[in-house]
Formats: sequence, C-alpha cells, structure tokens
Amino acid sequence: MNTSLFIVIAAALAMGSATGQAADKSAGEALFADACAQCHGPNGKGMASFPSLSGRDAEYITSRLETYRAGEKVGSNSFLMIPNATDLSDDDIANLAAFIAESAE
Amino acid sequence: MSPKTTLRPLCAAIASAVIVGFPAVTTANEPELSQTEVLTGLENPWDMAFLPDGTMFYTERCLGLSVRLPDGEVEHLLGMEGTEEYATTADDLVCEGQAGMNGVAIDPDFDENRTVYVYSASNMSEPRTNRVLRMTVNSDFTQVSDRTDIVEDIPYKPAATDHPFGDAGAHNGGRIRFSPEDGYLYVTTGDNHNSEIPQSPKLLGGKVLRIDQDGKAAEGNESPEGFDPRIYTYGHRNVQGITFHPTTGQPIVTEHGPWHSDEINALVNGGNSGWDPKPNMAGRGDCPDDYCGYEPNQTEGMDPKERAAYMPVTDTETYPDAMQPAWQNDGLSQGISSAEFLVGEQWGDWDGRLVVGFMGIGFGGTPVGQRINLIDIAEDGLSVNDVAKMPVPMGAARFRSLVLGPEGDLYTAVDEGSIYRITPE
Repeated sequence: MNTSLFIVIAAALAMGSATGQAADKSAGEALFADACAQCHGPNGKGMASFPSLSGRDAEYITSRLETYRAGEKVGSNSFLMIPNATDLSDDDIANLAAFIAESAE
Repeated sequence: MSPKTTLRPLCAAIASAVIVGFPAVTTANEPELSQTEVLTGLENPWDMAFLPDGTMFYTERCLGLSVRLPDGEVEHLLGMEGTEEYATTADDLVCEGQAGMNGVAIDPDFDENRTVYVYSASNMSEPRTNRVLRMTVNSDFTQVSDRTDIVEDIPYKPAATDHPFGDAGAHNGGRIRFSPEDGYLYVTTGDNHNSEIPQSPKLLGGKVLRIDQDGKAAEGNESPEGFDPRIYTYGHRNVQGITFHPTTGQPIVTEHGPWHSDEINALVNGGNSGWDPKPNMAGRGDCPDDYCGYEPNQTEGMDPKERAAYMPVTDTETYPDAMQPAWQNDGLSQGISSAEFLVGEQWGDWDGRLVVGFMGIGFGGTPVGQRINLIDIAEDGLSVNDVAKMPVPMGAARFRSLVLGPEGDLYTAVDEGSIYRITPE
C-alpha cells in the first residue's frame, strides 16, 4: 500500500473511533423523542424524579446506557432504564449520546 | 338491484328513529378546544389556585410559591432552601425526590383574611416532615407573612429504599383543597414506601385529613376509635388528586396504583381505602425493606392482573368494608394525578364531567398513557358510566395539575414546565 494512503486511512480510522464521528444525531433525536422525552423532558432538562441530562457528554451517556443494557443497576430508576436500554444497538447508543451531548438543555 | 332500492328503507328507518326519539341518531355537543400557554419556563409546576379575578397562585416543587396577577405580572412570594429572588425565603422548606412544595389552596374567606395555604416538606423537625403552612398575603400580592404551620406531622420518607421510585421523599401525597360543601380543608398524603403507615391510627401518611383553618380536626370526622381525629379516611397509597362533585359535594380522590390499577374513589367519612402493603399477611411473605407495594415482582414486567391479585390496591379480603373504587384505569398504573370537574354550559356534553390527568408511565410493556381523561362519574361517585380521552391541543405531556379557572376554563400544569389554559369554543 502506498505509504501516504495508509497514513490517511489510519488517521481517518483513529479520528472516527475517537470522536464517534459515525453517530447520526438526527436518528438520535428521533429515538430520544420516542423513548426518552416522556420522562427526561423534550429538551432533556429533567422532570419530576427523572434527572436532567444537561451537561452530560457523549462518553457519560454511552457508559450509562451500556451499563443499563447489561442489566446492571445504577440508581433508583434502574428498573425503568434497564428495559429501555435492553434492545438498543451500539449505533442507537452512539446516536443518542451524540444528540443528548449536543442538545440537552 | 339499484342503490336507491337498497337505501330507501334505511332512510325511512332513520327518519322513524328521529321522530320517535330513538337514540339511533344523536348530535354530539362537544366543544372544540383551544389553548393558551399562560406561563412557561417553570421548574416542575405542581399546583394552582385562583381568585375570582383570575389571580393565580402556583407552586414549583423545588422553588416555592408565586402568584400571577391578572395583568400577567408574576410575584415570587415564598422561596425554599437555596432559592433567590423570592420576597421571603424559608430555609427549612426542602425539596427531594417527589417531595417539596406541592399543593396550594386559597381560604374561602380570602376577601376578609387574605389567607393562603401550601403543603411542603420541611426540615424544621427531625426527621423531616410534611407541613401545611398558612400565610397572609399583602394587599399588592408582593409578600406573605404570619406563617403558621397548621399541620406539622405528616410523615416524609427520610431515606432511600429498595423499591421503584425508591428515593427519599417518595409517595408524598400533597394535594390540598377546601370543600365548597363543608368549608373544611382536605389534605391528601402518601405512604412513604412504609408498610406501617397506611393502616396506622396515628401516623398521618396514607390518609385524607379533614381540618379547619387552624389545623384542628373538622367536626364530624368519623375515623375509628383511637385514630388521630384529623383523619377523614385511611388505607391510601399515594393520593394525588381530590375534588368535590359540583352538585352533591361528594369528595372524590385519585391515587397511584403499584404497577397496576390507578384508582378513583368516592370518600366515605371514616372509611378505609384498603391499602395494606405489610409483609407476612394476606398470603405474602417477606418483601424488600418490609414493603410489598410492588410485589410479587417489582423490577420486571408481568401481567397487571397477576399483580392485582397478589397485592391489591383495595384489599377487600382483609378489609371487607373497604371503600370500593369507582374506576381502576383498566387495571393499569399510569401516574394518575389531579382531578377536577368541568362546570358550565360552555363545556356542552362535558358539563359535569370529571377530568383526570395522567403523567404517564409504562413498565414491562404497559402503555405510557400521558393524557387527560373525561369521565362520566355517577353523582355518588361510586361508579363510572363513560371514559374518553380529552382531545387537548398540546397533545401528550406529564399532566400534573388540573384546576378550573374562575371563567370556567381548564388550567393544567405539566411537568415539562408550563401552565396552559384550555378554552372550550
């Protein structure tokens, strides 16, 4: 392989991995509206006993959703979050994380 | 066969039905609804109360009591711990989980005494309690003063437990309303995820209290011997709404079910609503943190009917004389909240309907159900003739509070942070 081409591809792969470049925020927005907004609010600012997502970065959201998807309890609302996360794909989680990190108020 | 031949007898049949008054042809008189966003950008608005001129007192659960004047100006009257920009801040008023500042009511003699009441969690006592505060509002609605806590001992959940929604402050009740019929203040409370509370003769959680403006027991409360005389009804889980039938004055409450069976109940003076989530009784064994309220399976979905059979909201086997619910939300628990009656000709066929809000919650595949229901309830409140979904313009939301305004429009506070006015056209 041409050395310079190899470098370009390697750099692109590294960048994609580091930044979640593949995330589809519009898909995340649709999923959020369907599955999250009823409790966390339309802008993710939290309501009633359901926490605000404001200021949470993509890494945090991803970690929490992966934890819930694995069936592990984190906090008193785990009984709601675990079944909600069970069927999420890696892409779903990446899309949600990207949308929430950028959009939650 | 021609179409005319087929249709003619049908037309004749319809004409006959109209002439003799058969119910085959009816004309619905249901209003179109429009909405106005009265306030927005609020933090968990919880309750409202109106004066005849449209002045609206309202609470925000973690902020405090404010008032919106008829010209739209807002005055922040009584703030809670950590708040700013309130005329008065009471640092003992605290917010945690479902608890904080909840219901608000206006004294029936407001013109003479300028008195308002709120229900709030407080750390003035140790452990914390919920209190009913009485205050005087000044002439220009910029200050409250003369705070007197007319009830100081409504239990508050002090620490987290191993239950759904198990944080401190849970199952906190909090709606307060004066009865137009008897003039007493009705106070609704919750069971705190504590199985001893609902059937306790002394602990005021899981009850409806009926008191006067000084917090003393109303004359004629008929709770059983040995009970705190302020108790009007007991054996409740978490009463979130109370209203009074517009013609009979019958008090009617709403309360949350445990993953099944939200209830509407007509209260009977001295009555037991039949909620008793203690372990090692009624066929149950041990339960998480001694509270069976979500058993037999509190963390995974299952058929609500199986839940109801195991842990009924109204346990008529143990308490055969318990008040019977008028309606149980088709066996579902969806966060039933506030209740109110629509009154006035402008509501057409809905004049006299009970409206009930749902914040919405789904679990194990049950539908979330955010909505307002229109319920045709019998005058005695013991049965329901019809249930329909109100076609509100704002669509789905966490409908926390429903209050009829002085002009007859319906106001609703939603957890999303707004108070809407719904007008029938």
